[in-house]
Amino acid sequence: MQPVISLKDIRVTLGQNFSLSVESLVLQPHRIYALTGPNGAGKSTLLRVMALLLSPQAGTIEFAEGDSRDLARQRQRVTLVEQTPYLFEGSVTDNLNYGLKLRGINSRERSERIKATLAIVGLEGFEQRQAKELSGGEVQRVALARALVLKPELLLLDEPTANIDSNSLQAYEALLRGLPEYGVTVVFSTHDPSQSRRLGEEVLRIEGGHLIDGSRRGPQNQTFTQRSSVHGA
Amino acid sequence: MGYWGDSLLTAFELILGFDREVRMAVWTSLYTSSCSIVIAALLGVPIGLWLGLNRFRGRQLLIALLNTLMALPTVVVGLLLFGLLSRQGPLGPLGLLFTPLAMIAGQTVLAAPIVANLVLAAVTGADQRIINTALTLGASRLQAAIQLLREIRFGVMAAVIAGFGRVIAEVGVAMMLGGNIRNSTRTMTTAIALETSKGEFAFGLALGIILLSVALIVNLFLNALQQR
Repeated sequence: MQPVISLKDIRVTLGQNFSLSVESLVLQPHRIYALTGPNGAGKSTLLRVMALLLSPQAGTIEFAEGDSRDLARQRQRVTLVEQTPYLFEGSVTDNLNYGLKLRGINSRERSERIKATLAIVGLEGFEQRQAKELSGGEVQRVALARALVLKPELLLLDEPTANIDSNSLQAYEALLRGLPEYGVTVVFSTHDPSQSRRLGEEVLRIEGGHLIDGSRRGPQNQTFTQRSSVHGA
Repeated sequence: MGYWGDSLLTAFELILGFDREVRMAVWTSLYTSSCSIVIAALLGVPIGLWLGLNRFRGRQLLIALLNTLMALPTVVVGLLLFGLLSRQGPLGPLGLLFTPLAMIAGQTVLAAPIVANLVLAAVTGADQRIINTALTLGASRLQAAIQLLREIRFGVMAAVIAGFGRVIAEVGVAMMLGGNIRNSTRTMTTAIALETSKGEFAFGLALGIILLSVALIVNLFLNALQQR
């Protein structure tokens, strides 16, 4: 199978004190990748680079197919859910509709997809709820649903369980574990080594400014990284 | 009843009797101010948005310039445009001086920096995640900027209303570029200045009451928007 995304010779410098460089990183489809490491190591920066929100000063990012010069089109193949997601003003449906409308999907298909996706994240009947009335955990789920409804090839989650209470954690992790069934490749960042082992089929650890070729698991582990490194100063 | 009492009574009679002079001054004020604020919004909103979203060399200088323009005395704007539009000026052949169009041009120059500055403040104060959220959901940079405008729409409306408040209450531009011509360019403010100097205090008071009412309504709107 073709990789979902390939990064080659990426270099990003943010200010004078931080730089990220990735020689080569290849992600295979329908897998869950855990990205672990201490604060400031470059996890969020790497996710933003993969989400095409941050342009590297050097290097190439390639998706399985399509014209890599059409940034807006390429961005529609990958979705990032931030650690503290922002929900637009309006209802849950308004939020889920946003990306669907940008893709020109008709109203009937939009409402079908919204209903199905809210069921996946356990928020049936939340269509008309106002974003500002939701709890922290519900916001996290709506943000996940807003990303999933777009059927992205690559879903990037920055510390997705950081704001979720322990009661909801198990259900949320089960939800993440099931995402590859929907054809999604997931990369999530976490501080929790046990969570990365529980969820990640492949574990990528950033430590001391380097991307360590971490504890590989699963039958397709040979498809992971080749000499990738992250430098933080 | 005394000077004030008699004048107030006459003023209310003029207002309630829909006096033609009063009506024309009110109409000219509302018409020129509305036209100028629409043009000022079309210029000021994109400028404020652009300055708020981009970082480039000279940005601080542009912001300082906008702040200076915001505090421009109305007579200075009137003077500069008078120089452009008068018969000897470069735009003299257009014959715009002492027409409502000249007043609209001057009031636009007054209002656009206010709108741009307040939109810039709204963009700067907006949640920094909005743009990235829109981008990551597949928006182009323009679509993301439009989504940001939707999220800060109350701030944008407040900016436009503040600009309207400035132009409807100004005298300098209306007097210097409009010429205070009866039934043509005479606004509430220029009529108040003229009629009061002629000793028609009641007439000035009638227009003053209407102007104050408009200002009150504008500010109530502004407060309501700022509460949201």
